[in-house]
Amino acid sequence: MATIEIDGKPYTAEVGQMLIQVADANGVEIPRFCYHEKLSVSASCRMCLVEMEKAPKPVPACATPVMDGMKVWTRSPKALTAQKAVMEFLLINHPLDCPICDQGGECELQDISVGYGKDASRYGEEKRVVFDKNIGALIATEMTRCIHCTRCVRFGQEIAGIQELGALGRGEHTKISTYIGQTVDSELSGNMIDLCPVGALTAKPSRFNARAWELQQLDSIAPHDGIGSNIHVHLRRNEIIRVVPKQNEAINEIWLSDRDRFSYQGLTAEDRLTVPMIKKEGQWQPTDWETALQAAATGMKQIVEKYEPDQLGGLASATATLEELYLLQRVIRGLGSDCVDHRLHQIDFADQAHAPLFPYLGMPIAEIERCNTALIIGSHLRKEQPLLNHRLRKASMNGAKVMFINPIAYDFNDMRIAQQIITSPNDLITTLSGVAKALLVGKNNVIPQQLEDLLADTKVTEEQQTLAQSLETGDHRLILLGNLATSHPQFALIRALAVAIAKLSSAKLGYCAEAGNSAGAWLAGVLPHREAAGMPISTPGVNAYTMLNKGLKGYVLLGVEPELDSYDGAKALENLQKAEFVVSLTAYVTDTMKTYANVLLPISVFTETSGTYVNNAGTWQSFTAVVIPKNEVRPGWKVLRVLGNLLNVSGFDYDSSEQVRSEVCEKLGQKTTDNLNSWQVPNDLSARKIDGLQRITELPIYATDMIVRRASALQFTRDATSAKGVHVNSNVAAQIGATEANVVQVRQNAAKISLPLVIDERVPDGCVLIYAGQAENVALGSWHGWVELTA
Amino acid sequence: MKAIVSYLKSLFLLELIKGLRVTGGYLFDRKITVQYPDEKTPMSFRFRAHHALRRYANGEERCIACKLCEATCPAMAITIEAAPREDGTRRTTRYDIDFTKCIFCGFCEESCPVDSIVETSFFEYHGEQRGDLLMTKAKLLNMGDKMEAQIAADRAKDAPYR
Amino acid sequence: MPEIRNYTLNFGPQHPAAHGVLRMVLEMDGEVIERADPHIGLLHRATEKLAETKPFNQSMPYMDRLDYVSMMCNEHAYVMAVEKLLGIEIPIRAQYIRVMFDEITRILNHLLWIGSHGLDLGAMTMFLYAFREREDLMDCYEVVSGARLHAAYYRVGGVYRDLPDSMPKYTPSKWHSKSAVDKLNEEREGSLLDFIEAFTNRYPSKVDEYETLLTENRIWRQRTVGIGVVTPERAFQLGLTGPMLRGSGIEWDLRKKQPYEVYDKMDFSIPVGVNGDCYDRYLVRIEEMRQSNRIIKQCVDWLRANPGPVTVDDHKVTPPSREKMKADMESMIHHFKLFSEGYCVPAGEVYAAIEHPKGEFGIYMVSDGANKPYRMKIRAPGFAHLSAMNEMATGHMLADVVAIIGTQDIVFGEIDR
Repeated sequence: MATIEIDGKPYTAEVGQMLIQVADANGVEIPRFCYHEKLSVSASCRMCLVEMEKAPKPVPACATPVMDGMKVWTRSPKALTAQKAVMEFLLINHPLDCPICDQGGECELQDISVGYGKDASRYGEEKRVVFDKNIGALIATEMTRCIHCTRCVRFGQEIAGIQELGALGRGEHTKISTYIGQTVDSELSGNMIDLCPVGALTAKPSRFNARAWELQQLDSIAPHDGIGSNIHVHLRRNEIIRVVPKQNEAINEIWLSDRDRFSYQGLTAEDRLTVPMIKKEGQWQPTDWETALQAAATGMKQIVEKYEPDQLGGLASATATLEELYLLQRVIRGLGSDCVDHRLHQIDFADQAHAPLFPYLGMPIAEIERCNTALIIGSHLRKEQPLLNHRLRKASMNGAKVMFINPIAYDFNDMRIAQQIITSPNDLITTLSGVAKALLVGKNNVIPQQLEDLLADTKVTEEQQTLAQSLETGDHRLILLGNLATSHPQFALIRALAVAIAKLSSAKLGYCAEAGNSAGAWLAGVLPHREAAGMPISTPGVNAYTMLNKGLKGYVLLGVEPELDSYDGAKALENLQKAEFVVSLTAYVTDTMKTYANVLLPISVFTETSGTYVNNAGTWQSFTAVVIPKNEVRPGWKVLRVLGNLLNVSGFDYDSSEQVRSEVCEKLGQKTTDNLNSWQVPNDLSARKIDGLQRITELPIYATDMIVRRASALQFTRDATSAKGVHVNSNVAAQIGATEANVVQVRQNAAKISLPLVIDERVPDGCVLIYAGQAENVALGSWHGWVELTA
Repeated sequence: MKAIVSYLKSLFLLELIKGLRVTGGYLFDRKITVQYPDEKTPMSFRFRAHHALRRYANGEERCIACKLCEATCPAMAITIEAAPREDGTRRTTRYDIDFTKCIFCGFCEESCPVDSIVETSFFEYHGEQRGDLLMTKAKLLNMGDKMEAQIAADRAKDAPYR
Repeated sequence: MPEIRNYTLNFGPQHPAAHGVLRMVLEMDGEVIERADPHIGLLHRATEKLAETKPFNQSMPYMDRLDYVSMMCNEHAYVMAVEKLLGIEIPIRAQYIRVMFDEITRILNHLLWIGSHGLDLGAMTMFLYAFREREDLMDCYEVVSGARLHAAYYRVGGVYRDLPDSMPKYTPSKWHSKSAVDKLNEEREGSLLDFIEAFTNRYPSKVDEYETLLTENRIWRQRTVGIGVVTPERAFQLGLTGPMLRGSGIEWDLRKKQPYEVYDKMDFSIPVGVNGDCYDRYLVRIEEMRQSNRIIKQCVDWLRANPGPVTVDDHKVTPPSREKMKADMESMIHHFKLFSEGYCVPAGEVYAAIEHPKGEFGIYMVSDGANKPYRMKIRAPGFAHLSAMNEMATGHMLADVVAIIGTQDIVFGEIDR
């Protein structure tokens, strides 16, 4: 501890803390541009100069460590003169852009200039001009405005992990630029906009749309990943202008992924459904709510009466709110059917009865960065949950051993990866068995004997041995199952092996949630085998995969485009079209939807309704509507509530979404989950056998749900554009005799389509990578299987 | 004595006659009446009346949608919406002044960094319907085109003082 | 025996002598006023509350709309309050300009008052003569600020622009030939100061004319002498200020007692009445016009000899010149911030009052350090005057109520605000 004096007042501080940190903690204002609490110190702007006792010159507060007995003046004549002079230098080359600059009004340069600078300039020479670069669809640049604080550069190095921007040149010739005409493709790039203290980097999608002073700030929760980032929605006249992060150190710190930041564009997409529609004698016509709801209720009732209750199925997207999901399953179950599910990407439900209460991360989000050892199985974590990846990256930077077992050699933004095992989906089981076997040595009765016996024949490779050894180091150990594991055809087996590995290495086991409210969907009981709060059902209904693959007579869809959102889009579409009655609660209307649905009910999206998301770590986060929905759009929970009334389901008299929430809360009580006890001992460890090229399917970051798919700017990013075509490595390409950009014939099952070939060295031999959620790939069908490529 | 004088003054209506002399004098004096609308009283080059949006000599509109006028308008009479134009420049897509709210304080003109929004000396306007007094961008630009010579001359005269 | 009841009469709010939207409920015994109960609020625009939602500089134009016959004086109190909070001293030339326009405003106000007061009491000609002179002063307003009424000319830190060097001129038409127009333009050949000087030279004779028409006039005296008498003690207790107080014989004028701007350098005297009736107040106001004329003359002489800046040279508060704003970065930023956000004013509270034509017009302002006032209270003289209505009118005839409203110089813009 050290005692220092700032402006004559004593403060205590840790030795080694920077002066500016002590000042910030105690509310002493020191102007700054380059210093940022989440970034390293660069001391390049010199704005934070303060006077220090016994120092001949003013010192930068951001780079001066605290020492006992130090005396500092932040507002002394010497300090003020220094600050004024720095400000004058910074403005010498700044263009007179305020009127056309989007930062105007919220610009740190303006604020500090007014607060600490001179009120007139003495500089009359030519100003410097820097040519702009196009660095992508999300960030607009105006590099002449740059003051070289290097926050964006440091963000790239330290947080995003890909150094896309750098400072070139010296002195007046310094330029911030990408490496020769490249774009900024980080999935966290939007944060640079927030960090930039001037108008050099601004948001492209909202370019020129509004001034900061016009905006109204309301809070909400981002729906696109399991983090549940806290956001501020900035509105003007009931129109969302932009989304910025809200600080929450336990969840998203001060960052926000681009998906959460720019997805708001999808809310005003052209194909928004704004009035209820029904199909009458093959013709679609807009109608009023009463007619539409009556039609929906009658149709659902008819299916139940004409066939049997189990012929009516409910499918929901896990981006819906907890309340909507809970009410959906109540409506379906009220009609006597247990066919309700949200696990659209999963096909192996063998051990669902043993699954944990909800896909729990295994620890609070902030805890991840304190891990010493982590093994991630089947996950492109960086794109699945960018901020979870950021936490893991922090851990790796702190010396944690991070290992991956993945089908693709993903690039993990400069993370210090201890080991990455690349294995085709089929070999995943063998690899995991090998790791488990390696860990088993010298341990008794940790895992059931039956599993030990099954592992007896497994051979351990050197790679697996190394990984196993690493897993046994460190205090905090974590094993994470990613989305590629969840959608694996042998997921039950993977779970069993992951639990075994976790137990053998005394690690925690966690699941990566697929969508913003996956945990909420489990808790709300949108599952065929469990009611809300995990209450088991003796005779489970049919799961999502079977519903869409075998076909039912009637469907209720909640925020789903099954052809893009489900495991086998082609089959799903076919069966929906065959069904007798389909009602879709949806925010958007597409031509495809019109081919299978009978009633379309316009429901609001996350900013237009009140509700709750439960994040990956089990944190419940409620939010209220921030925008008034257009036209006839109504909150989903209200629609389902009326539907429940029309169908005479008992207990449907909720007046607010809070009532629904507290009902779920009550049912849940104090229940918690333990991932390590929730699994089934397998009977067999043999992998499936496939001849030929295996298909690997990944749901790309900007195609995860209906809203994101319609966010126009995101669709122009590299992450979105590179998700097209069929990806193989050069060996495979050579085998079929095709080269980059050739159109090749892809055959899977009976389907045959042509797609451009992309040479992608990350893909292992014997595999092809085809992305899901792409309209042109739908015809191929299921996410796994045998694929034939012909040039 | 004083009382007698005052009594006599009063008796002969002296103060009334004095007053009548003043008014009578003006009866034969030169009239100061101005025959509006044939002629008008002189108008200052600082006069603040109907707004206009100006253009540069090449026909390009001056306004760059900085929204300072909107921010500084005490009556919140100005509504602006902006977006990038095809050539990438910052332009308004909507520029409305609600004359029923406007208090003609002139702050919009003071705030404009490109001399785009100005208050002209044109004060003889009226509206017959509610919407007539909502000045849209087109109306304002039209006004600017019509009055440009006068606007420029007035600004030039006032330039040394601003 | 039939029951005898007092009449209750609604005077206004739509009455030409109610000076705006005054509604007065008169309880009358025959034609004698038993009780006069003024009702206010019909022109309430929440000026004080609105000021809390706007940056300091944006509320200024709203001050014009309080007492809308003495616009610049209202502005003066407001900008003085903000300047006091900011602790800035404005350039001397701006102070002279403010004093000159305060006095022009006083004449403007008194001219309107004498015109309408005369009209109310049957002296119609006064109205025409008063408005003839008002026209010239309105031209001064227009030429300096661009508006004939709502000037928005005084700014925190000085005044908006310096006085112009030329006056607009009449142009010949089919009604007025070139020579007739030249005659009209005679006083307009020089600068604004020349124009004002010419006005001050001829104005005393105009005031003489008013006096010829009214002072000795028997009807005028019958309508005003002994009407609405306020004793000096009651005048104090009722919070009367300005001519209302001086008419009762109390020598109180903020320009002398708490001199602001350059009033301490001015040579003028304060007229006081003796009896405290409408007639005395009339005499006081007539004399005030003459005194204002003297002050204006002194200001014109000084202003002509002493050119200089009219706003403080601190662009943290006043916007930079347009030329500078377009050329240098600091000025650009300050211009941008001043017009979007305004300036922050140190926390504190302040009361700034000026001798307004109607009395003491004060602004009480509390700042919490933000760019908007935390609270602003307007001390409008008319409000206190109106509350003396009952006392002044009781026992008089109905027709005298009109004289009392007139003598109080009621303007509803400031009372309701």
